[in-house]
Amino acid sequence: MKSTRLAGNRTRNVDPVLLFLLMTIALVGYFDLHSSANVAVTGHDTAHLMRLVVGLVAATAIGFRDYRFLERWAYIIYGGVMLLLLVVLAVGDIRNGSQRWIDLGAIDLQPSELAKLAVIIALARYFHDLGERDRLGFADLWPPALMVLCPFVLILEEPDLGTGMVVLFIALTMMAVQRISWLVIGASGLAAAAAAPIMWFFVMHDYQKARVLAFMSPERHLQGDAWQVSQSMIAIGSGGLTGKGFLKGSQVQGGFVTYHETDFIFAHHAEQWGFLGSLALLGLYLALAWWSLNIARTARDRFAMLCAVGVGAFVFWHVIINIGMVTGTLPVVGLWLPLVSYGGTATVTVMAAMGLLTSISLRRHVF
Amino acid sequence: MSSETSFGGALSGASEVAHRTRRLVLVGLVFLVPWVVIVGRLWFLQVEEGPHYQSLAAGNFVRESDITPDRGRIFDAKGRVLAENRPSYDIMASPMILFRNKEVPQLLATKLPIDKDKLERLIAASQTGTGAEIVVRRDVPRDQVAVVETWKNELPGIYLRISQRRYYPFDSLAAHSIGYVSGISEEEARSWESTGYTGGDQVGRTGLERWFESILRGAPGLERNVVDVRGVEQSAAVANELLGSLRRVEPVPGQELVLTLDADLTQIADDAMARTPSGGLVALDPRDGSILALYSKPGFNLNAWSGRLSNEEKRRIDNDPFKPMLNKVTSSYFPGSTYKVVTAMAGLEEGLVNAKTEVDCNGVFHYGNRDFRCWNRGGHGEVNLASALAASCDVYFYGLGVELGMDRLARYATEFGFGEMTGVTLPGESAGLVPTKAWHETHSAGGFQFGFAVNTSVGQGDVRTTPLQLALSYAALANGGSLFYPRLVDRIQLQDGTAVYEYPRKARRQLPFKPENIRQVMRGLRAVLDTDEGTAHEYRLSYVDAAGKTGTAQVRALDTARLDGNEALFADRDHAWFVAVAPVEDPRIVVAVFVEHGGHGASAAAPVAMKVIDRYFREVLGMDEAVTAYVDGSDRKRLHDLLHEPEAAATGTPSKVSGEPGAPVFRSPTEGSGSAPEVSP
Repeated sequence: MKSTRLAGNRTRNVDPVLLFLLMTIALVGYFDLHSSANVAVTGHDTAHLMRLVVGLVAATAIGFRDYRFLERWAYIIYGGVMLLLLVVLAVGDIRNGSQRWIDLGAIDLQPSELAKLAVIIALARYFHDLGERDRLGFADLWPPALMVLCPFVLILEEPDLGTGMVVLFIALTMMAVQRISWLVIGASGLAAAAAAPIMWFFVMHDYQKARVLAFMSPERHLQGDAWQVSQSMIAIGSGGLTGKGFLKGSQVQGGFVTYHETDFIFAHHAEQWGFLGSLALLGLYLALAWWSLNIARTARDRFAMLCAVGVGAFVFWHVIINIGMVTGTLPVVGLWLPLVSYGGTATVTVMAAMGLLTSISLRRHVF
Repeated sequence: MSSETSFGGALSGASEVAHRTRRLVLVGLVFLVPWVVIVGRLWFLQVEEGPHYQSLAAGNFVRESDITPDRGRIFDAKGRVLAENRPSYDIMASPMILFRNKEVPQLLATKLPIDKDKLERLIAASQTGTGAEIVVRRDVPRDQVAVVETWKNELPGIYLRISQRRYYPFDSLAAHSIGYVSGISEEEARSWESTGYTGGDQVGRTGLERWFESILRGAPGLERNVVDVRGVEQSAAVANELLGSLRRVEPVPGQELVLTLDADLTQIADDAMARTPSGGLVALDPRDGSILALYSKPGFNLNAWSGRLSNEEKRRIDNDPFKPMLNKVTSSYFPGSTYKVVTAMAGLEEGLVNAKTEVDCNGVFHYGNRDFRCWNRGGHGEVNLASALAASCDVYFYGLGVELGMDRLARYATEFGFGEMTGVTLPGESAGLVPTKAWHETHSAGGFQFGFAVNTSVGQGDVRTTPLQLALSYAALANGGSLFYPRLVDRIQLQDGTAVYEYPRKARRQLPFKPENIRQVMRGLRAVLDTDEGTAHEYRLSYVDAAGKTGTAQVRALDTARLDGNEALFADRDHAWFVAVAPVEDPRIVVAVFVEHGGHGASAAAPVAMKVIDRYFREVLGMDEAVTAYVDGSDRKRLHDLLHEPEAAATGTPSKVSGEPGAPVFRSPTEGSGSAPEVSP
């Protein structure tokens, strides 16, 4: 099919729910950045909006193009990203104690961000090629396991625990929609046991509370992670039910929360808008994740379905780990909040993923 | 939907669609689990624990700083400022800003006498993220303030803090009464935290500054500012919006003290004590116990002690044998013969002697197996009470002491207020010591011996009194028996002068003695100055009728022969005392002079006391012209009128009792002849 012929259909078929969710979350990000910019360099709010627009154009470019070219190029893209991951470990810039960036002059490339997308595409391609088969065994599953573990290990080497976790969770979520033999499920149960400590943190509220309260005694921890997290928790907690109001977050306005524009932007959001505002944003994210699954449900082929699941998992786990981190529920691993955190690579990556989702939703009725 | 599944996969059909949907719903439900946990976590943080975190957040961004109240000023009786406050500038540094401006300490060191290395060490040692500030230099002179102001833009992170410092316009005048203040240490700040002190607050250390600390200090105010993580204050608009009326609590200024002290008389005391290295002088008004001058020597400079006192200087003062920091007026010493008034009063009251009882003094008193010598080795011959007091005959009182016994003597001493604190509003007052049999049993080697009463009767042995106690007891004798509480503070007032409290003119007790006996003792005290035998005769004033008593207190054991002042080591020399009252009738001033290791009371202390009395009348009471007119004989009535009650002044001109020019005058004519001393040769 020719893309020119499809133009009329495309505009009519643009997914209004997806667009609404994207634009609403992006606007929340704009306002959060606008108010937090009150204390830092101003202009991040508009820069963020600009990037989202650029990202949206890029996403539309991907979305309006047939996603199936990705299917064809999946392993090539994956191989390229793997190469970049090796390069970054060799010559990457070291910042804040980890080696994640390749300095390309105008832009800083973060291969680990690309790895999230590369893994989604590569896994989708693999399972697509495998077809709708029942009871996948070890023989079918070792290639995808390797496809996940290689980038996972390389990313952990940087070290970037957060991104590594996200890659792992994306892969697990994508596996979950396969028909896998009970034997393999039992084996992956062991893998889940490895991830159990994470779940354990979710449950252990009281322990976390005690630990973080201990962190907050100011004479002991004035700097470092504990300082960041305790200040972030103070910001969130002091927001109360309804928040302190727009531009009135004393914790962030006073500069107590570090990285308040990037990884810790949620602390700022929660301080200003309170529990209700936090719930609203979390609701939007859950809706986005669920809507991705719905797009997957209606996707016209397995590759598209798996890509949609992967993108949904990508957004969802990013949000969960990020907010778990700023609320002191999870260790600080350094992950941004999709569509809200300020940052070039983050925005480009997430908009690329959204473009893929748009493309899939656009083509659901085109046979 | 079946059309959808018709391509893409090897298997197809409705069951495959159902399977896909089931799996996706399952994933959706799995998503719900961590989502609910995170929402629960937020509920816990924001709603359950919200108030807790709100208080933490408030502590984060509100910086409270104390506003130091104006410390109450101190005035003398005539309203002259003895202690006030002056603005003071401290050079401060903000480590958070200096971290990023490494060149500033170097630049500062080129402009001001500041140790660059020390400043850099302080910056390096300070906590980041706490908004801490460093005091670079306290209380800098004006020219350094100007330097900091001029180079403000080149010195980011360096700023001035204005505070108040205590200033004493008269430097060392009345230093022991006023006292000094100094900043409290971190350690003191911790232990006094409940009283609201913080490190660097000024607190009274000695004298009135310490005694009236809570009155003078006032209540600190509070200023709350909104700060960011670097401790940088946000704009006033931000602070007002967030804090509203809670932003500032005004301080309550300290209350002020108006003293009974007269700065001029204190200066006169200093002049009169010029030749004395160590001692004390107290002058008070015998009519109400108001202290007119309280002087201790050597003194110290209040401004130096309230400011930066170098360690060497402090050590020098601490090691000074004359103990400059000791208030000698409220410290106790052997009173020597000034104590004989107690023995005399006890003898009269107990009926052991009367005014006419005569004793033969041959220079030595035998008691037990010991000889107690009179200071006059040759003896005084026949003496009665008045002449024994006048010539300070020891033998007369030795015998009386033996008859009275230790405890009866002690009882009378206690009546006079010895052995107990006077209640002066100054820290560190000594009660002195009135030894009794029981005291000696526990404190003297070998227990009580009868000979102790002999020593005590002349103010030796173990008896100790303070100059202030002596002044008050003599005042009681002079005013007819009222033993007053000393008044050092006349009133406490607000900053605008409204009196808050006026110290009452209150007698501790009425001396329970017969008026006739008090008169007899006073007659003896007059004879000290009026008669030729009187030990202070040569220091009498020609125009005023005064009474007094010399004292020469042996510091070494009584058995050792008394040495002439010049021959003895300073520390072995006798203490010299003189307590004087003038005028005898209608007394206006009592002066007690203590000259530590000064030698004979008559020659070392009496001239000092009489000089102070003389200048008190002439200069402080402004009677110089009247006194001059009296002395040259041109107008004798005027001086009399000036000091007497109108009705007394109206009854007649002062009479001259002894016939000599310059004899006692301040006596109402009707009593004139009765007060003449009767002295036996």
